[in-house]
Amino acid sequence: MREVLFAGFGGQGVLTAGLILSQIALYAGNNATWMPSYGAAMRGGTANCTVHYGEGPIYNPGQQKPDLLLAMNTPSFKKFSSLVRPGGILLLNSDMMTEEPTAPDGVRLIQVACNQIADSVQNARGANIVMMGAIVKLLGDFSYDMGLAGMNDMFRKKGKSKFEEKNTAAFQAGYNAV
Amino acid sequence: MAVEKRVPALCNYAMFCAGCGHGVLLRLICECLEELGQEKNTIAAIGVGCSCHLKSGINVDLVQCPHGRAGAVATGIRRAEPDKCVFTYQGDGDAYNIGIAETLNAAYRNENLCVFVVNNNNFGMTGGQMSWTTMEGQKTATSPAGRDIALTGAPIKVPEMIAHSFRPAYVARGAVTTPAEINRLKGYIKNAFQAQLNHEGYSMVEVLSTCPTNWGMEPLAAHQHLMEHVVPYYQLGEFKKRGE
Amino acid sequence: MGDMIKGNIAVAEAAVRAGIEVYAGYPITPSTEVMEYLSARLPELGRTFIQAESELAAINMVLGVSACGRRSLTASSGPGISLKQEGISYMAQMNFPAVILNVVRWGNGLGSLDGAQTDYLRETRGGGNGDYRNIVLCPSTVQETVDLMYEAFDIAEKYRCIVVVMTDSGLGQMMEPCEMPPFREIRKCSWGLDGTYQVKRPDFLGRNIPGESDAYIRKVREMRENEQRWEAVGLEDAEYVFVAYGMCGRVMTGLVSEMRAAGQRVGLLRPITAWPFPEKAFAQMREKAPGLKGLITVETNGEGQMVEDVALYAKKYGLGQVPVYALPYVCGVPKDDVVKADFDRILSGEIKEVF
Repeated sequence: MREVLFAGFGGQGVLTAGLILSQIALYAGNNATWMPSYGAAMRGGTANCTVHYGEGPIYNPGQQKPDLLLAMNTPSFKKFSSLVRPGGILLLNSDMMTEEPTAPDGVRLIQVACNQIADSVQNARGANIVMMGAIVKLLGDFSYDMGLAGMNDMFRKKGKSKFEEKNTAAFQAGYNAV
Repeated sequence: MAVEKRVPALCNYAMFCAGCGHGVLLRLICECLEELGQEKNTIAAIGVGCSCHLKSGINVDLVQCPHGRAGAVATGIRRAEPDKCVFTYQGDGDAYNIGIAETLNAAYRNENLCVFVVNNNNFGMTGGQMSWTTMEGQKTATSPAGRDIALTGAPIKVPEMIAHSFRPAYVARGAVTTPAEINRLKGYIKNAFQAQLNHEGYSMVEVLSTCPTNWGMEPLAAHQHLMEHVVPYYQLGEFKKRGE
Repeated sequence: MGDMIKGNIAVAEAAVRAGIEVYAGYPITPSTEVMEYLSARLPELGRTFIQAESELAAINMVLGVSACGRRSLTASSGPGISLKQEGISYMAQMNFPAVILNVVRWGNGLGSLDGAQTDYLRETRGGGNGDYRNIVLCPSTVQETVDLMYEAFDIAEKYRCIVVVMTDSGLGQMMEPCEMPPFREIRKCSWGLDGTYQVKRPDFLGRNIPGESDAYIRKVREMRENEQRWEAVGLEDAEYVFVAYGMCGRVMTGLVSEMRAAGQRVGLLRPITAWPFPEKAFAQMREKAPGLKGLITVETNGEGQMVEDVALYAKKYGLGQVPVYALPYVCGVPKDDVVKADFDRILSGEIKEVF
C-alpha cells in the first residue's frame, strides 16, 4: 500500500496531480483513495491532498506517513517533510525553493525544475504533470506506458483530450528527469 | 325577491369567534374554487394560529405548516404537483412576523401560487399579542401601553412591498366590511386563482378583518373600528393588476 | 470498479437514481457540492432544483414535496442542519417520509469545516422538539454512502419516517472508486396529497393524544427491531471490542484486522445505523465473548458521544461490569499509529474508562 502527499500553492495543480495518480492506480487495476486537506487550510491559498493506492481495500484514507511527498513550494516542504517515512522520497520543485533544502535522515531528496521543464515542452501549466512523470518513475509501481495511458484516459473521460499531446510531452520529460 | 345563496360544499364547520372575518374569507375562497372547477384539484398550505381552523373548515387537501413556513411548504407542493391549484392561508403574525422571509422569498421567486393573509392587527390564537400589523397606539397583550412605533416599527404593509419590489402576477388588499367590499374581495380572490391557473405567477390577497375577541369589542363595535381606524391606514384595492 | 468520484457527488447521484424529483437546499461547506451538482443534474433530467432562501425554507419545501408523496432531498452541514430541525420534527409528527443528508462538520455554532462526529447525540435523539426518532445511516466509504442513500428512500417510505444519512466532511470531500445503482422508476406514494381530498384529517379539536403517541411509539419499536445494522469483526474471541462508525469505523476496520493478524485479541463493532443502535450485537457479544475486558469507542469529537450508547446497551445486555472507554480525536481522520498507542495506554491503565 502506498501513500503519497501532494502539497503546494493553490493553482499549482497539486489536487489534480493527486487525482491523476489515483486514476493511474485504478487504470492499473489497483484501488485508490484521494483526500484533500480541508478546514481552514483550504481557504489560505495552500492546498494538499493524500493519495493511497494498492491492492485490496484502503481503510485509512488520511495523512499518515507518506512514501513520497511532492512539495511544489518552500512552505509545503517545510510543513510536511518531517512526515515522510524513513526510506521514503522527498520530491521538490527546485524552481520554487527559496532556501537550500535538506531531507530528514533516511529520506531520499530529489529536486526537479518542473516549471523550467514544463516551459521547455511548451506546457507552462503542466509543471504538475512533469512531476507526475517523475513520481511514476520514482515509485516504480507503474510502467511508463501504464502511467501515461492512465493519465490520458482520465483527461479523455473529462473531455480534455485536446491537451493530450502537451500532457504526454510533460509527463515524458518528468519521467526522464529523474 | 331574496334568493338564498347556496353554501359551497367545500365549506365545513370552522370554530371562529363571533364577528370574526375568517369565516367570510373561507367561504369566498370555497366559492371561487367551486366556480373555477378546482374543488377536486386543490392543495392548501395553512399557517399556525386561527388558520389552523381550516383543518376542519374546508374540504380540500391541506398541509399544516410550521409557523410562518407556508410560503416554503407551498413552494414544495407547487414544484411537486405543477397541475394542482395551490394556496396558502395565513394570519398576519404567521405570514409577516415569523414567516416574513418565506413569504417574501416565495413572492421574490414569483412562485405560481396564491397567498391569502388575514390581517386582524394581532396574534389571534395566542390571545391578542402585538403583531407587525398592530396599529399605532393599539393596546395588546404585549403592548399594554399602546403600540409605540418608535420602539417597535410602524404597522407593516407587505402587499405594497411585494407589488412594488418584485414582479408578482397579482396583489390586492380587500376587507371583510360591507357587502360591496366583500363582493370586491371575492373578485380579488378569483383574480388571484385565475392568475395561478393561467401560470402568471405569484399572487397575494391580504384581507383586513376584525378580531372582536382580542380587540375586546362587541362584533359591531369591532366592525366599526375596522372601517374607521384600520381601513384608512391599510389602503384597499389592487396594487398589481394582472397583465400590467 | 468505477472511476474516482467525490463522496458528495456520488451521494447526490445516488439520490437522483433513487428517484428524487426535487432538491431544495442552501449552500454550506462541506456539503455544497451536492447542490452544485444537482443544480445541473436535475434540470437535465426534467426534474426540479430549488435554491432556497435558507435551510429553514429548504426543509419546508421538502415537507411540501413529501406531503404529495414524492421523493426529494435536502443536504447541509453544521448550523444548517440545526435550522432544519423544525421541519424534521413537523414531518415526524405528520408521518411524512424524508431523507436528509448531514455532511457533518466539526463544532458548535459556526464550527469549522473539518470532518467530525459531533452531531451523533443530536441525530440519534431526533433533533427537534418532541418524542420521535430518525433512522440514522452512517456509511464509512463512498460506495456505502451511495448504497445507503439509494436505500434510504425506501426505508423512509416503509415507515413514513425521517432517514438521516450522516457522512462527514472527510467522506464528502474524499474520492474513491464506486459503482452506481440503476435508475429507479419515479412514482408517487399512494397516500400522497393529489388535490382530490382523499386523505382524511384527524379532528383538529378532538385529538386523541395518547392514541397518537401509542401509534408513533409502535412505529419506533418496529424500526428499532427491524432496522439495526452493523458490521462485526472478531467478537467471538475479543478481549477488547472497538466500537466506531463512519470514517472512524473505516479506520478501525483496517486497524483491527491488522492488530488481529499480529495476534491481539481485539474486535470491532461498526454501527451502520447509529439509530437504531445495533444493540443486538451486544447480545451476541455477551454470548460469544465471555472474556470481554473492555469496550472502546473511537470517535471524532471532544470526549465521546456514542460512548454513552455503548455504556447503556452494555448495561442492558448484562455487560454492565465491562469498562467502557472512549478515544476521542476531535476531528479529521484518526491516525493508525495514534490509535494503537492510545490502545496501549488503555492496557497500561493510563487512560481510564468513561463508564
